[in-house]
Amino acid sequence: MPTTTGTGTSTTGILHRLASDDQDVKLKALRELKNQIIGNRTKKLSFLKLGAVPAVAAIPSRRPAVLGSFACGFDAGVQAVLEAGAFPNLSRLLSNLDDKVVGAGARSLKMIYQSKFAPNIITHSCKTSLEQKILFDAGVLKKLTSLLKGSLSQRDASLESLATIFKNNPEVVLKFVGPDSGRALGSIIELVKDRFIRTRLLASSCLIVIRNTSPCYLQDVGIKAKLINTLLELLDDPGQIGEEASFAFSSLITQKEDMQKLAFELNAIDKLYNHLQRVHYILDGLKEYCWHWLTCAQSWNVAGLDFCRCRYGVARMCQVLNLVIDALAHESADVRTAACICLRSVSRSIKNLSAGYFMNETVVIPLVQLLNDPSTSVQLDYVSQILLLLLVLLATLVVDLTTRRSTFIRCGGVKQLVQLSKSMDATIRLNALWALRNLMFLAENKCKEGVFSELTAPLLASLICDPESFVQEQALALVCNLIDGCIDSVEYMFAEDGVIFDAVGRQLQSASKAEIGIQGMYVLSNVATGKEFHKEAVINQLLPHADNGTQSCAFIRSVKLRDAGIVSQMKEMVNDPCLDVKLRVRTALKQFTTVEDGSI
Amino acid sequence: MPVRVVDNSAPSQVSGANSGNTSPPACSLLRVGQAFSGTQNVSNLQKEEAWRVNVRIQGCDLEHGYLCGTMEALNVPMADTPVSVIFFSQQQLNCVYPFHPILSESPCKLISHLIVFNDVQVVTFWEGEIVDTKNYTFYTGKWEAAPEDDIRHWTKFQSFSPLLNQVEVDGGKSLDLSNYHHIFMRWKEQYFVNVGTDCGLTIAGFYYVCFSCSDGSINGFYYDPNSSPFQKLELKCTNEGRSGFSFSSYELQ
Repeated sequence: MPTTTGTGTSTTGILHRLASDDQDVKLKALRELKNQIIGNRTKKLSFLKLGAVPAVAAIPSRRPAVLGSFACGFDAGVQAVLEAGAFPNLSRLLSNLDDKVVGAGARSLKMIYQSKFAPNIITHSCKTSLEQKILFDAGVLKKLTSLLKGSLSQRDASLESLATIFKNNPEVVLKFVGPDSGRALGSIIELVKDRFIRTRLLASSCLIVIRNTSPCYLQDVGIKAKLINTLLELLDDPGQIGEEASFAFSSLITQKEDMQKLAFELNAIDKLYNHLQRVHYILDGLKEYCWHWLTCAQSWNVAGLDFCRCRYGVARMCQVLNLVIDALAHESADVRTAACICLRSVSRSIKNLSAGYFMNETVVIPLVQLLNDPSTSVQLDYVSQILLLLLVLLATLVVDLTTRRSTFIRCGGVKQLVQLSKSMDATIRLNALWALRNLMFLAENKCKEGVFSELTAPLLASLICDPESFVQEQALALVCNLIDGCIDSVEYMFAEDGVIFDAVGRQLQSASKAEIGIQGMYVLSNVATGKEFHKEAVINQLLPHADNGTQSCAFIRSVKLRDAGIVSQMKEMVNDPCLDVKLRVRTALKQFTTVEDGSI
Repeated sequence: MPVRVVDNSAPSQVSGANSGNTSPPACSLLRVGQAFSGTQNVSNLQKEEAWRVNVRIQGCDLEHGYLCGTMEALNVPMADTPVSVIFFSQQQLNCVYPFHPILSESPCKLISHLIVFNDVQVVTFWEGEIVDTKNYTFYTGKWEAAPEDDIRHWTKFQSFSPLLNQVEVDGGKSLDLSNYHHIFMRWKEQYFVNVGTDCGLTIAGFYYVCFSCSDGSINGFYYDPNSSPFQKLELKCTNEGRSGFSFSSYELQ
C-alpha cells in the first residue's frame, strides 16, 4: 500500500501524483488538491502556473468539483479550465447517471458561466430552447447584463450572447424586458449609438432578436427609427460590418409592414439603391456582396405601392430594375437567384403589374432564357432553386393586366412552362401550373388558344388527377381561368372526348381536401354559365343517377335539382350567418321559383 | 358638425383603432375579375351627357381594406383629333369636361382655342379604400375632401342614412359594418393605362362609392373641387354574355 512522502503534500508533489498510473493515488491527490485550493486564491494561482488544470481535466471522474473550484471567482482559473478543453467534457457530465457527478459538473459550469468568459461560451453553446432556459435559470442574464458595462470585448461578446439566449425564446425575453430588467434593456438601447460600430451593430441585432421573438416589445417609434437609421449607416461600412448590417436590416423589416413603412419614410430605398448601384459596378470581385444587397433589397418588400410614391418614383424604380435585370444574366448563381427574389418582391403589386413595368422584352427574355438554360456549372440544388424562384416570379409577372402577355408567349415562355409542368418534381409542376394559371387570368382568346395547344387536353386532365393534391388544386384553378370569359372557351372542357370534364368530375367525387372540392365547384360553375349543352353536362355530372330524358331545359333541370333535395338544402341556408351565403342562396331560390313558375 | 376621427391633419387611415371583426362582408360579387358596366353622368345645365363606363376589379384585399381595378371610359372626348370643331366658353368646358387639363393648367388658352374632339376609349387604373372602420373611416382626410364634403357625398346614398348619426359622432369608428348589406368605398384613379399623361385628361378627383352586396350594383359620386359636383356613376355587375357568373382568379406570392 503506497504512502505519502514528505513532499507529497506540496504543490509539485500533488501534481506528480496526479500523473500516477495508480487510480487510488490519483484520486487521493485530487482530493488533496481540492482541499488546498478551496477559498485560497494564492494556492489556486500556484497550481495554475504549474499546469494543474490540464492534469485534472485529464482524469475521467471526480474532476468536475475540482475544476469548479479552480473556476470559482477566479477568471484566470476559468481561463485555464477552458484552455484545457474541459468545457465540452463538463457539459457531457450533465447527462451522467451519477447525480453527484451531474451536480458537480453543473456547479463547475455555473462558475464558468458566471465568469467574464461566459459570453463567448454562451454564443457557441446555446442552440436549443432548453439550453437557453438552463442558462437563464443559472443566472446568466444577470452576469451578461453586468458585463455590458465592461470592456469593449466583454460588451460585444455579451450582446452577442444575449441575442443567442433571446432568439425564438419569448419566455426568456419576457423575463428580460420585465420590470426587474428594464434597465438592462435600456443599456442595450443605449449601445445602439455607441461610438464603436461593431457594438452598434451587435446592440441593434440584439434588439432585433427581441423584436422578432416577441413583437409586442420595442414598439416605440423612436427606437424603431433609431434601429433603421443605425443599420442604414452601418451599410456604409465596406467590410464585414456593412455585410452583417445588410442581414440585420433584412431581418428587421422582413414581413413587418410597420417597419417597412417606417424605413420607407426614413428614405431607406434611396440608401439601398445607392448600395445596389455601387456594388453592381464592382460586381465581379464582390459576388457575395451583390447577393447580400439584393437580398436586402428583396426583403424590403416594397410591394410597389410605397415604392412608386418614393421621392424619385417610377424613374428610380426603373433604375433599380435595370440593375436587377442585368443581374439576371450574371454568371454567379447566387446573384441570379437574388435578382429573381428581388424582382419577385417589387413586382408583387397589381399596380405595378397593371402599369406594365415588367412584362416587356427586357425583363421577359432573360427570364425565359434562364428557364431554358440553367447553368450546368452550378450545383443541382442551385438550378432547382433558381428555377423555382423563376416560376414564382413568372407566376406573378404574367398577371400583367395589360395585353402584353403576348411578349411572354412570343419568347417561348409557355412552351417552357408546359415542359416544366411535366417535371418529376411536384413543386416544379405546381409552380409551372401556377404561372400558367396566372397567365390565363382574364386572358384573350388568342392567348388561351396558344396555351391550350401547348398544354393539350390529356396533359391537363392528368394534372388534375396528379398524385399531389396541391398540384390538382392549381390545375383546377388553371382550368377555371381557361374557361372563363368568352362563352366559347367553355368548349375546352369537352375537347378530346371531354377528358378534362371527366377528370374534374372524378376529383369532385373523391376530393381529398376541401380546397380541391371548392376549385372543382368553381370549374363546374363556369361550365354551367355556358350554353344549354354545358348546363346539361353539369347536371349529369352532379346527378349521374337522375333521369336523363331527351328534353333539356331550365325547367327540367330545376326539377331534377329539387328532386335531388338541393332546394330543401338551400332553404336551410337562407339564414346562414355569412351574409354572402345568405344573399346568394336567396337569389338562387328566387331563380328556382321563377323558372318553375314558367316565367322564363 | 362632423368631427374627424383623429385630428384635422390626420389621414383617414387608422391603425388598430378597432379590434374584432368589423370588416365588411366578403361578397362574391365584389371579387377579382368581376366586371361592371354603366354610365357616368357628366350633364350640365346646357346639355345632358353620360359617358359609358366599364369597371373591372383587379385586386382585392379585404384585410387591408384595399381594392383596385381598371376603369374604362368609352366615349371620352379628346382634344386635337379633328372630328368636329366646336367653340366653348370656359364655363361650359368647366362643367362638361372637368377632366380636361388645359382647363386647369392654362385656362387662358381656352378663350381663343379651337377644341376638336374625337370619341376614344380611355382606361385608368384605380385604387380603392374600403370603409371598414378599421383601415379606413368615412372621413377621407385627403384629396382636398373636408369632412363636410364627405358627409355631403355619403348622404347622397340612401343606405348611408342609418349610419349618419354615428358617423357624425366618431366618424363611424364604432360601427360594425361586417353584416351591412352595402359596402362603402373611395376609388381614386392613379394613372392612365392606355394613354400617356399628355393625353389631355386629368384624374385629379376621386369617387365616393356604395356597393350593394345583394345585387352587385354600384353607385358613386365623383368629387373634385375643380369639377362640376355630384357627377353620378352608376354601374351594374355584368356576366359578359354568360348565363350566370363565372369565376377566375390569380395568386401572387
